[in-house]
Amino acid sequence: MYTVYRVAILGMSFSLALTTSPVTLYGGEDEGMCVEAGVPYYSFQLITTKNIPGTGRGRGSVEVTFSDNSPFGISVTSDGSYDYDLKLSLNRIKLRGEGRLVAWVTTRDLSKIRRIGPLDPYYQVNGSVDWNKFLVVVTLESNDGGNGDKWEGPVVFRGMSRSGMMHTMVGHGLLQEENCFAYGYDG
Amino acid sequence: MPAMTPSNGWRMIPMDMNMPMLPGLEGAVPSVGAFLPGVGIDLASIPLARPSAIVKWQRGDTLDLSVSMVRRSIDGTEMLMFGYNGQYPGPLLDAIEGSTVVVRVRNEIQMPTTIHWHGVRLENQFDGVPGLTQAPIEPGEDFIYEVKVPDAGMFWYHPHVREDVQQDLGLYGNLLVRSPDPEYFGPAHREEILVVDDLLMDGEGLLPWGKESSTHALMGRFGNVMLVNGQTDHQMETKTGEVIRFYITNVANSRTFNITFGNNRIKLVASDIGRYEREQWTPSVVIAPGERYVVDVQFDKPGETVIANTIQAINHFRGEFYPHVDTLSRVMVSSQINEEDLSDSFELLRENQEMIPEIENLERHFTKAPDYELETLVRVENLPTPIVISMESDTLYVPPMEWNDAMPMMNWLSTGKEVTWILKDKISGLEKGDIHWEFEQGDIVKIRIFNSPDSFHPMNHPIHLHGQRFLVLNRDDIQNQNLVWKDTAILPVGSTMDLLVEMSNPGEWMFHCHIAEHLHAGMSFNFTVREY
Repeated sequence: MYTVYRVAILGMSFSLALTTSPVTLYGGEDEGMCVEAGVPYYSFQLITTKNIPGTGRGRGSVEVTFSDNSPFGISVTSDGSYDYDLKLSLNRIKLRGEGRLVAWVTTRDLSKIRRIGPLDPYYQVNGSVDWNKFLVVVTLESNDGGNGDKWEGPVVFRGMSRSGMMHTMVGHGLLQEENCFAYGYDG
Repeated sequence: MPAMTPSNGWRMIPMDMNMPMLPGLEGAVPSVGAFLPGVGIDLASIPLARPSAIVKWQRGDTLDLSVSMVRRSIDGTEMLMFGYNGQYPGPLLDAIEGSTVVVRVRNEIQMPTTIHWHGVRLENQFDGVPGLTQAPIEPGEDFIYEVKVPDAGMFWYHPHVREDVQQDLGLYGNLLVRSPDPEYFGPAHREEILVVDDLLMDGEGLLPWGKESSTHALMGRFGNVMLVNGQTDHQMETKTGEVIRFYITNVANSRTFNITFGNNRIKLVASDIGRYEREQWTPSVVIAPGERYVVDVQFDKPGETVIANTIQAINHFRGEFYPHVDTLSRVMVSSQINEEDLSDSFELLRENQEMIPEIENLERHFTKAPDYELETLVRVENLPTPIVISMESDTLYVPPMEWNDAMPMMNWLSTGKEVTWILKDKISGLEKGDIHWEFEQGDIVKIRIFNSPDSFHPMNHPIHLHGQRFLVLNRDDIQNQNLVWKDTAILPVGSTMDLLVEMSNPGEWMFHCHIAEHLHAGMSFNFTVREY
């Protein structure tokens, strides 16, 4: 159950807002909540750029789990960043022509880039990342990505870690109902 | 409805100026009364607290343990707190595996209390849970505990009455149970105890707690002053090359620490109830409330090094992670080299031979379907509207862990009257205290717990079982490669963990979240283990 007198709430200004809201918020049963359950919660989709023939109808996903070598309940690095394992997969691809799809992980400002590696014949590859916010990019390279300090080919798919959707309270969304995946995702 | 101006004994909580207060919350205070201990008592009449003393427990000893008010000076502010035998932390009880000691507890504070022997598989009647295993010890009354310690490990003791208040005020101490095997652990030059905690203070001292119910019910009460062994300026000296064995216990109400030891290597040796299958290197020690870890650290370079809580905190206002470091202890490493070189043994990662047959006996249960499935949820009602609006809008991403109080005002205003934390039995549909599981002694039970991200404000939960021990078999379908007996395990948001519980100890026991404010907001139930 998720009973919110949403119109009333959204109509209030903050200056008048120091009342208790007639709200009972329950977890789990409301389809409008912008969350998914279970392991998939931190997983995210890869969206095609439609720039490369044979990839325009493609779908992709990145499964995100904590690194399996942590003896604790969660894996973090010595600077406190999460240490994730990534499982990347694409489907509905009919790649024509030359080149190989190579996966990369990068910070949102592209200041740091790491090569995950070329996708296998099933369009899958595993990797890891220890940044809290990151992008995964799949590019079409003439080879397997070389030494891996930067991609050279066109971007074919891209996606953002769920943490990238952390709202700013000064930015969008505070008083609006928004589609969770309205930020470049296919929702 | 909260009052408009701080009143009824409340003082405005310290705010992080990087995270401005939400409009509409100016002057708001929690919907419950404010509580500070010892109001009206002349502070000068209260004895000054002393540092923790070591009590060597011999089989059949009797220990007198008073629960009393003490005077503490923290960051230059004198204040009234609580202590066991007038000490901070309480006495370190140093016992041999298998011994039994009688502890005669006298309650000299103005609240009822009990003592829970966290992690100890002792007789049920001495587990210290009011209303379940004993009546609370009223002010001026005594209670006698017989504490039998069947397992080697680092345990701790604390009240089970308003832990959010009493434990925070200093009622905690360690119980170190040693194996009679002299080679149980590898060699170390010495041992150190690190009891990590935090306190919420302003310039006047401790911020009040909720009287009828806990404040900070959403995220738990995070402190802004870090304590190690009750001290804000903990420091140590060591020689170059020295290997120190640290016994770490997290007694904080809510904070999970990520403890680093500078650039020194950390060898993880043991946790709550004994040693890991295999020792292993770790970049840091992630320790949730109630958990314990044992690590060996070699300080191989002279100079000052810092033991720190090193995290990526969240600024919700800016929607950012940012690095944050709290110094917990300063270690001065002298250039003098320790005469006994333990470098070779430190490099060695030992296997725990005791664990091999135990695991083999249990392996057939590893792949069975869960016997029980739990889900964690939260419900809120009647929170101030600005909180509801802002939190609703910030639900696109919920972090796996809350390492800092990223919403101090909103958290403070949420009390047990507005927030209900729930453990839900997915099979029966029952919740919280309505759940009651029954087992027979000797049952091996698989419990799957899912921390649902699908609720108003999901959060990590340190899950604690009384009176039994368990293995964490899987996390998110990934098999745990290095098992250790636990009594408390952290469950991040969105994660699922499978516990294999050895129901070895008959009685009525508690199953709960060890964030004190979550416990008092409903996150517990009881289970029975019938004697076979």
